[in-house]
Amino acid sequence: MTSDTDVKLAIYQATAASGRVPTADAVAASVGATREDVIASFGRLAAQRLLALDRGGEAIRMAPPFSAVPTPHRVRVDGTEYFANCAWDALGIPAALHRPAEVLSRCEQSGAPLELSVDSSGPAPSTWLFHCQVPAAGWWKDIVFT
Amino acid sequence: MLFFRSEELIDDWCRTRDLPRRPSVRMDQLWQLAVTWYGTRLTAESRRPGPQEMRGIFEGLGLLGDFWDPQSDAFAPGKP
Repeated sequence: MTSDTDVKLAIYQATAASGRVPTADAVAASVGATREDVIASFGRLAAQRLLALDRGGEAIRMAPPFSAVPTPHRVRVDGTEYFANCAWDALGIPAALHRPAEVLSRCEQSGAPLELSVDSSGPAPSTWLFHCQVPAAGWWKDIVFT
Repeated sequence: MLFFRSEELIDDWCRTRDLPRRPSVRMDQLWQLAVTWYGTRLTAESRRPGPQEMRGIFEGLGLLGDFWDPQSDAFAPGKP
């Protein structure tokens, strides 16, 4: 029987390798489980706030820090480009992969481009700032908005 | 959760949308949050921090107050 941990690792390993969050079918093939079992596992992982789901729970929208859909927050690592869910997750991708990265985003007010180099010690010195509109107690009430 | 180039641009963004100004976070603080949240995310043991851990993480970075409390009801609908 496939565990939720197997499913979680399959999701994250596939995403790390390709830059794309896998489908339920791809995860099922990877772990040798049925699509139905994998979708049930998606639901349990979402309940732990390790995934955010789409399409009635049958697809992954977020495997934080990775986004399954394009966003303004892109991260390049070793020639692979990833989409992050938000500014926090843009730094979360090099933190998760333990690899040097280029974070490409923008100032939300001015539109000025952000190009930030990140290595194992963190981002290059920068005066840019992070701002979150939603208080911590509300982040997962609507995680896509947050 | 967005990037801004300056405090003034955060002010402008909030004002033009009639949204409350929230505390800003420096990039070095954000990196520490990223490492704490996601540094083990690709491992079998990974999990999201619980509320008490979150409080400790935020306090350790100087991120204090109800805004950073994952169980605060200070911003609940109907609160002044």
